[in-house]
Amino acid sequence: MKRTFKYIFGSALMLLMISCSDLDKEPISNFSGQGFYKKPSDAQAGVTGIYNSMQSTFRLNFAYWGEGRADNVTTKHSGDPLALQTNALTPIITSARWDNFYTLISRANYAIKYTPGVFGEGESQLKNELLGQAHGLRAIAYFYLTRIWGDVPLVTEPYESVDQNVFVDKNSAQEVLAKVEEDLLFAAENSSKSYSGAKNRVIFTKGTAYAFLTQLYMWQKKYDKAIEMADKVMSDSQYSLVAMNDWNDIFVKGVSTESIFEVGYNEVQTNALRILYALGSDSDYVPSARFIASIETGDLRKPRIYDVTEAQPRKIWKFFGQGFKDESPEPSSNNIVLTRLADIILLKAEAHANLNQPTEALDLLNRIRRRAGLAVLDEAAAISQYKSVADAILHERSVELCFEGHRWFDLVRTGKAISTMKPINGLSNEGNLLWPLHESIRLRNPNLKQNEFYN
Amino acid sequence: MIFTAYHRKFKWSANAFSLTFLFFALLLVIPEGAFAQQKRISGKVIDAGTKKAIPGVSVKLAGQAAGASTDDQGAFVLNDLSQGQSVVFSFLGYTSQTLKIDARSTYLIELTSLATEIEETVVVGYGRQKKRNLTGSVVSVGSAEIEKTTQQDPISILQGRAAGVQVSSNSGAPGGEMTIRVRGNSSLNSGNNPLFVVDGIPIESNSISALNGTEGSGLNPLADINPNDIASMEILKDAASTAIYGSRAANGVVMITTKRGAAGKPEVLLNATTGVSTLTRKLSVLNSQQYREAVLDSYNALPNPEEPYYTIIDSLNPMNNGDVDWQDALMRSAKQYKVDLSVRGGNEGTKYAWSSSYLDQDGVILNSNYKRFTSRLNVDFNISDRVRIGQSVSYTNAVNNRTNAGGSGNLSIIRSLLVRPPNMSMYLPDGSINGYMIGQRNPVGMALYATNLNKSNRIIGSQYLEIDILKDLKFRSNVNLDYIAMKEDEFMPSILDYREGYNTGAVRTSGNLTWGNESYFTYNKSIANAHNIGAVAGMSFQRWRYDRTGLNGSYFASDDIRTLNGASVISGQDVNVASEHAMRSYFGRLTYDYVGKYLLEFNLRADGSSRFGSDKRFGFFPSASAGWRFVEENGVKDLSWLSDGKLRFSLGSTGNEAIGDYTSQGEFTLGMNYLDFSGAAPTVMPNASLTWETTHQYNLGLELGFLNNRILFSTDAYLKKTKDLLYNVPLPSTTGFEYVTRNVGSIENKGLEFSLQTRNLQGPFTWSTNVNLSLNRNKVTSLPEDVLTNGYIQNGAFHILQVGKPIGVFYGWQFDGVYARDADNVNGLTHGANGPKFVGGDPIWRDLNGDGIINEDDRQIIGYAEPKYFGGISNDFSYKNFHLNVFFQYSVGNEIYSELNHQRNSIVRYNNLSTDALSRWRQQGDVTDFPRLIRDDPKQSDSRVQSRWVEDGSYIKLKNVNLRYSLNPDWVKRIGLRKVDAFVTGTNLITWTKYTGFDPDVNSYSGLRVGLDEGAYPQARTFMFGLTLGL
Repeated sequence: MKRTFKYIFGSALMLLMISCSDLDKEPISNFSGQGFYKKPSDAQAGVTGIYNSMQSTFRLNFAYWGEGRADNVTTKHSGDPLALQTNALTPIITSARWDNFYTLISRANYAIKYTPGVFGEGESQLKNELLGQAHGLRAIAYFYLTRIWGDVPLVTEPYESVDQNVFVDKNSAQEVLAKVEEDLLFAAENSSKSYSGAKNRVIFTKGTAYAFLTQLYMWQKKYDKAIEMADKVMSDSQYSLVAMNDWNDIFVKGVSTESIFEVGYNEVQTNALRILYALGSDSDYVPSARFIASIETGDLRKPRIYDVTEAQPRKIWKFFGQGFKDESPEPSSNNIVLTRLADIILLKAEAHANLNQPTEALDLLNRIRRRAGLAVLDEAAAISQYKSVADAILHERSVELCFEGHRWFDLVRTGKAISTMKPINGLSNEGNLLWPLHESIRLRNPNLKQNEFYN
Repeated sequence: MIFTAYHRKFKWSANAFSLTFLFFALLLVIPEGAFAQQKRISGKVIDAGTKKAIPGVSVKLAGQAAGASTDDQGAFVLNDLSQGQSVVFSFLGYTSQTLKIDARSTYLIELTSLATEIEETVVVGYGRQKKRNLTGSVVSVGSAEIEKTTQQDPISILQGRAAGVQVSSNSGAPGGEMTIRVRGNSSLNSGNNPLFVVDGIPIESNSISALNGTEGSGLNPLADINPNDIASMEILKDAASTAIYGSRAANGVVMITTKRGAAGKPEVLLNATTGVSTLTRKLSVLNSQQYREAVLDSYNALPNPEEPYYTIIDSLNPMNNGDVDWQDALMRSAKQYKVDLSVRGGNEGTKYAWSSSYLDQDGVILNSNYKRFTSRLNVDFNISDRVRIGQSVSYTNAVNNRTNAGGSGNLSIIRSLLVRPPNMSMYLPDGSINGYMIGQRNPVGMALYATNLNKSNRIIGSQYLEIDILKDLKFRSNVNLDYIAMKEDEFMPSILDYREGYNTGAVRTSGNLTWGNESYFTYNKSIANAHNIGAVAGMSFQRWRYDRTGLNGSYFASDDIRTLNGASVISGQDVNVASEHAMRSYFGRLTYDYVGKYLLEFNLRADGSSRFGSDKRFGFFPSASAGWRFVEENGVKDLSWLSDGKLRFSLGSTGNEAIGDYTSQGEFTLGMNYLDFSGAAPTVMPNASLTWETTHQYNLGLELGFLNNRILFSTDAYLKKTKDLLYNVPLPSTTGFEYVTRNVGSIENKGLEFSLQTRNLQGPFTWSTNVNLSLNRNKVTSLPEDVLTNGYIQNGAFHILQVGKPIGVFYGWQFDGVYARDADNVNGLTHGANGPKFVGGDPIWRDLNGDGIINEDDRQIIGYAEPKYFGGISNDFSYKNFHLNVFFQYSVGNEIYSELNHQRNSIVRYNNLSTDALSRWRQQGDVTDFPRLIRDDPKQSDSRVQSRWVEDGSYIKLKNVNLRYSLNPDWVKRIGLRKVDAFVTGTNLITWTKYTGFDPDVNSYSGLRVGLDEGAYPQARTFMFGLTLGL
């Protein structure tokens, strides 16, 4: 009996061992959804995560959205390039996806909600900067969204629970733009004025906010406000036009003095610039004959823009340097410049032109023309050559900012998209200026109606 | 004595030669005395009831695999025995009997027919049960079945051999992944694998391979187990038998039991096999001339014809003036060999089973190879009359030189060899390989120069302590461990790339550890020889930890240095991750029977898992079952033709916890960097209310035996209802998340299983047959409204999930042929609204809603992957010393979506086409079912998911033929051996099917995207020759 008792005791001891085991397991290599925002460094990482999604958003599509449907490029490439160029947009082209924008917005919404909490009471410069960046980046996303799709859902809170409504409706473009303005003003207030070193021009700053506010007000045709914002950019001594000889380096090397904000890439965080522009045999885009013809004689930019040694140029040199020959489609590490001083100067010129202030407008326009080695234009010359001062400015933007993702939005903004593209691809309907919603968007949220033209 | 000799001789060089050598070394070290004082015994075996002689009774020494058998008069003779040894007499339908040899030399053995007593036992959760007392549905595959095959992993062996178990091949590569389903798919989250329990240890059965994951074919973790070590595999199917494994048992449980030692003289067994594998068929493709024409056609069909890319049709260009048959260039006759050595024996106090094996198997694709060394030691000690301890430990080292053969990537070899332009030159004029042309890699170059190496080391071990506390009360505690250490290397050299000096490499090391403890009491009591009571009660915990480390590199200084120190760009820090998971459980079982006639059983398990929110953590899984052996009833008992009869019923619930370790908590993922700044981002949306999937299962079974059990029939009908399915519900992208894991919807599986064993002929010539047939009908019974956007959920590119339909339905456009001329499109159908009209040569898409527009609304279900029925037929013949097994396996009524056929019949990316394309539409008026070739067709003829690629996947396959010849025992003994068998085995010999791909037994993805052929590594036809030597 004693022996039996010993056995029972021993067995019971082993059972006890089991019941002590623990079932609480926290993630080891990542943070749980609720457990992330604890320290200021977490907020910093959360905001960095927004830039990370911005890289994927723009790596290829900046050109599809900003150039693909416009007249400066032509393509032999099937898929999105051909669909966009021939105005055969369907709900299955990849540029009709908006997923990356909303991933960016989601990350920004998390940062905006949780950043204040990790800093506690009192003012903090870092807190303001991070919030400024998060608002600013969210604004950029919404600004693109509404320019591409028109009315889009305006989501400003993070999703954290299955009880939240995921089947949102669209908000009007006006509402979205109002939020863009609000976010950009907040960003202008709170962001840092500048960064040096590795953050130089690849992190959102006050200047970035003013530049996008300029773009926003131009889009809304609020010319006085646009001029006011452009002045804030132009009066900032960190922004200055580079010399013509360094013009390609704005893109090849990046972070030039002319740059205001660019999406940073490197050897492992790459983008598709070569695939878009420099593959030689099979790149997405080559300069259109119309574009080549539109460049004025003696324009110093011409040999810097594309491979002038070929009658039918196959490569765009602008982003890679004059004489660039490498045809390999390896991913590119160049930064993608979203806005730079020349953009703002020309937008301001356009604002003045629209306010019927040709002197101010031409003064700004000629700054860009002079750098390009072109004769200055007076009002008469502008009218004789381009029909109006505004058109001269639009032409200048087309050449100066070519292939950077501005042309399509310029055409839409100035109401010239249909008149320009109709002879090329038959674009004729205002509703067709918007992109269709990708079918996956509507499959996942039936509340979202297809943009009318595409029904 | 033997062991010391063994240790001295054996150097762990792990190759077959040394194993063979070792065997002969053992012959030398066995002391002369072992053969001394041996005697000859003889006797006769008769039926205890009828007193008639029984021919064909197996007579063998205890614990040995083979032996002699009785002749027509029931007589037997055994030589070289010594007093005290045990001889086992067994015969199908009779209770085995063990004879202890004494001073006598003649014996009369009376065997009792099983008609009155079925004492066969089967392994169940936490114990063994008499087969006659089972109230659950359990199917067993024993070592006798396993020995007839030469397949190298346990799952393949189960194919067609167990009713209710469906096995399909994801990859025919050596060591490649298999899909196994017990009674259908019951989960949406692809956690559909059964739980595998080896000698009581729940082991890892999911591929942990971290490279090549997107290609869809992983590795088969069960291939780490040497089939020759297996004594039996039991598949527990219904809730009565699985509920004791609770939350991991909803997909059934496969119990693998390895061979253990028995008291007696050491039995040494050497098994050596060698053989060759070849491709079962070749697929037809265009030759260079036909291909060039096809390319030109595809360009000329464009609205604005353009110049073809300059080199592709230029027959003078050295890059593409070849005429290569890529299948011949890449496929080969592959050899393999395997050596197994085992020693089993022991005495009353200590029993051991030791085994070692080495396999070297080439794949049919150039340069693919699999080498596996396994070693196992099972020991049991009686340390007192009441305490026993023991250990089972196995070690496996596997080196798999893989090819990137499955899946859809540009790297896929099988697909690439079918779609590579035939005119692409194999070599350039300078003799170097033509590695890359127009976006396509050279498959032969891939096989020869790319690296896809997987090495793994695995230890599965357990220790137990068993105490007889009282006469009827036992305590047992196991500590168990399963550890896989895997290292994978990948390298793509620059000679296979278009970019100068561009090569990529990757390395992954993974560690997967699971360990735990199970302790339980077992109580068995018989009262008044009528009331038999049994009880099990216990607790367990198990923990898992997974670690993965790896990096990616590119721009290596040279193709020859493939370790990542040679890379100039390093990335992939994000692959360095770890995760943990823990489970704590309580379980119990009560059994009761009254004189073996009325049977009752109850099971309960409570499982707590760290994967679920703290308030949803524990789940309870009960089951109840009853059996009635009506054959014991008066009146029935006297029926001479009915020898067995049992009716059983069970119901109960089981669970499924197969989701990510931290899914319920949501995840912020690190590594979301921007330039050199470290970033983090929310990637998994939290769901604190996440809980188990629960399956309720009902099972009704009937077992019958006729004519002294010469005919055994068993059937089961089941209904499985699974609710609270764990599913990654797609979210609108405006949330910033791809999906959220929720408990949604329900699935139902119902089915019938039949198995029939007959002994058709007895006497000198015996013939027995084993047939099984299973039907499973799967149906999604509910999905919540808010996840359905168009009444269904898209599941990958080809499948949907829809209420009322099974998992694995293909969804797309109906292809109704080809417009012979423009005018045939009488309804003026257009591609999308305002899109171009379909013209001659375009496919005729069925306009389901009749709106004149072909768009997403015109899709419908175009095929079903679920078979109507499947199973196997096995026939065994034996005459004198010959034994023949002929095994067919079949699946009927399933359809396959051949993505492979899509790829090889459309002209995107300059790929080659099947010879079907010769009948393509070329001009107005051509009547054909092959549309015109058009490059990047704006009307998407090729890229639509369409009925054109759905094929009947029914097949019957002569899966296995095994012919074994056993040398005359007398003769064998003269050379000092116990037995010598020679055998030949053929696998995948003939397949009868209409399917046009390599093999209808194909399933490119292990998840829910069933019935898809993406171009998986084809299964090979294998011929093996082997020798078994016993000592």
